Amino acid sequence: MVQINFARREVNCKIVYYGPGLSGKTTNLEMVHQKAPPTARGQLTSIATEGDRTLFFDFLPLDIGEVAGMRTKFQLYTVPGQTYYNSTRKLVLQGVDGIVFVADSNPERRQENLESFGNLEINLKELNLDLKGTPWVIQFNKRDLPAAMPASLMNQELNKAGVPTFEAVAYKGDGVLPTLKAISAMVLEKLNRDYAPSRERLGSVRAGDTGVRAASPVPGPAAPLSGVSSGVATGYASAVAPAGATPARGTASGVGAMAAAPGYGGVGMGAAAPAPAPATAMSAYAGAPAGYPAAAGAQPQAPPFAAPPASVPEPVQAGPAAAAPAGAVRPGAQVPSVRPVDPFAPIAPATPVPLPAAAPSTAPAAAPDRGRNAGVGTYGQAGGYPASGAQGLPRGPFSPNPLPNPVLVRPTPRMQPAPVQRGFPVTLVIVGVGVLLGAVLLVVLLLLNR
Amino acid sequence: MNQDEQIRRQRLVFYQNDIDRLDKLLDEFLRLSKAKCALLIDKDGHMITRKGFTGTFDMDTISALVAGSFAATKEMARLLGEEEFSVLFHQGVKDNIQLSLVGERTLLSIIFDDRTTVGMVRLYANELANKLAGVLKDLSQRQKPESAPQIDKGFGEAAKTNLDDVFGS
Repeated sequence: MVQINFARREVNCKIVYYGPGLSGKTTNLEMVHQKAPPTARGQLTSIATEGDRTLFFDFLPLDIGEVAGMRTKFQLYTVPGQTYYNSTRKLVLQGVDGIVFVADSNPERRQENLESFGNLEINLKELNLDLKGTPWVIQFNKRDLPAAMPASLMNQELNKAGVPTFEAVAYKGDGVLPTLKAISAMVLEKLNRDYAPSRERLGSVRAGDTGVRAASPVPGPAAPLSGVSSGVATGYASAVAPAGATPARGTASGVGAMAAAPGYGGVGMGAAAPAPAPATAMSAYAGAPAGYPAAAGAQPQAPPFAAPPASVPEPVQAGPAAAAPAGAVRPGAQVPSVRPVDPFAPIAPATPVPLPAAAPSTAPAAAPDRGRNAGVGTYGQAGGYPASGAQGLPRGPFSPNPLPNPVLVRPTPRMQPAPVQRGFPVTLVIVGVGVLLGAVLLVVLLLLNR
Repeated sequence: MNQDEQIRRQRLVFYQNDIDRLDKLLDEFLRLSKAKCALLIDKDGHMITRKGFTGTFDMDTISALVAGSFAATKEMARLLGEEEFSVLFHQGVKDNIQLSLVGERTLLSIIFDDRTTVGMVRLYANELANKLAGVLKDLSQRQKPESAPQIDKGFGEAAKTNLDDVFGS
C-alpha cells in the first residue's frame, strides 16, 4: 500500500514480482540492480536457501528521485516461486501496489504458469485485493529458448485482462527495465488518480483511458486477442518503452510484433543459448506436492487499468533533480543518520545518471537462471536470521518492577561501566578504608609484639 | 465499498504534525531507555519515522526485513493458535533489536546495545507502544487538515521524466 509521508517528503510503493519457480523473478531483480544507475538503486537483499532458491523474498529498494517535490521510492520484492512456499508468498504480497507476473516461456512450464497465476488470484483475494484494482503487467521471460512457447499463446492463456506484456531474456537483461518502467508508471498513475479522485484528471490520462477502451474489445479467438494485446501494448509502449535504445524484445512486442509473430522463431534467439532451467531442477519441481489450487482460468474481464497515455514520449529531460549538487546523498541511504537532531531535513536530490544505451549484459552464460552473486545481502546465504540463543532472554514478557533486572542480561565487558558508575566510588572507599585499617592494625600488632 | 475506495481509506498519509507527535514520543523513549535508535515502520515495510543514531544502517532494507520477519511470526502465531506474537527480540553480540507491534498495522523497531538492558528497553517500549497506538488511532480518525499539503496533480506526468532518467527512454 502506498505510503505518502509529507514530513519526510516521500512516496513509497511496493512492487512484487510473482510467478512460478525458476521463471526468473530473482534474475529480474539482479538485472535491475545491475542496470539501474547507482544513484537510484539500493542494496539487493536475498533470503535464499543454500541452493539459491528464494526462501522468503528478495528485496531491492529503488529511488527514482524527486517527483513534484516528493522523493519517490519503489520497493521491489520477489516471492518464492516454489509451490511449497505459498504462505510466505502471501506474506510478501501483502500491501502490494503493483505486480509483475513473470511467466516462463518454456513449453514444459506451461502448467506451472497457469497454476501460479491462479495462485496469485487466490492469494490476492485472501488479502482483499484483486487484479482489477491492482496495476499489473506480464513478462514473458526466457524468450531465447529454442522451443519457447509462442507469445500469442502465452498471451491468450495468461492475459485475459489485456494488460501490457513484455518479452524478456532476464539473464541478459533484455526487457527487464521496460517491464519495471511500465509497472512503475502504472503504479504512479494510479496513485495520482486515487489521491485526487475528484479533481480533473490530466488530459493525457484521459487519452490513455480512451485509447485502451477503444483498443480492447472483448477478446475473441487467437487473432483478435493478439490484436488486443498489440493495441494495448502499443498504446503503452509508445509512452514508456524505449524505442530501440536497448535491445529489449519487450519493446518489439510493444510495437506490434506480437500480433505478427506467432512463433517468435526469428527474433534473434540464440540457438546455442543454454536452457535456463536445469533438467534436474525442473523434474524436482514437477515432483513437488501440488500445493497450488488448480488454476480455474482467469475470467475475461474489462481492462483493469487505464493505460498510460499513448502520447509520444517526452525527450529525456534533466528533471528537477538535475540541479542537485554532485556528491549528493545516495538516495537509497535515506537521510544521513549522523544528523540525528533533524533527520527530516530536506534531502539533497541526487543527480540522475542516464542509463547507458544497450548496456552489455555481464551475466555468465553458463548460469542463466541464477546469477546471484555472493554478497548480495547480509542475509544472502544464511537462509534466515542468525539464531539467537535463549540464553539471557527474560522469561516473562514485562517485569512489573520498574527497575531492570540485570540478571536477565548476559553481562559483557562493555556492560560493566553502567553498574560500576553507580557503585564504584562507595565500594572503593569502603574497601580502601578496610584495607588501611587492617594494615594499621597489623602494624600495631607487630610493634606490640616487639 | 469497492476496492479502490477501500485502499484509499487505508492508505497511509502522514503530515508534518503527525510525525512531530510521533517523534516526540520516540525522543522521550530514547532518553529514558538509552536505546540507540527507534524506528516506526508500517506493516508493508515502509518506514514512517526514526529517531536516534542509525549509523550507516540501510534503513530501507531493515524496514523491509522487519516487516517480513513480523509477518512470518504472525503466521507462526496463527499456526500455534495465538492471535499474534506482539514482541520479537533478536540478540546480537553487540547490538540487539526488539520489535513490538503498535496498534494493528505499525511496528516499532528498537536497536540498542550494551549501554542499556533488555529489561529497561522492554519496560519503556511497552509504555511507548501504548502511547504510539493512541496517537496512530487519532491519526487514522482525524480529518485531513485544511492546509495540508497535497500530492501535486501532475505527479503522474512528472514521474515519467524520472522514470526515463532511471530506466532509459
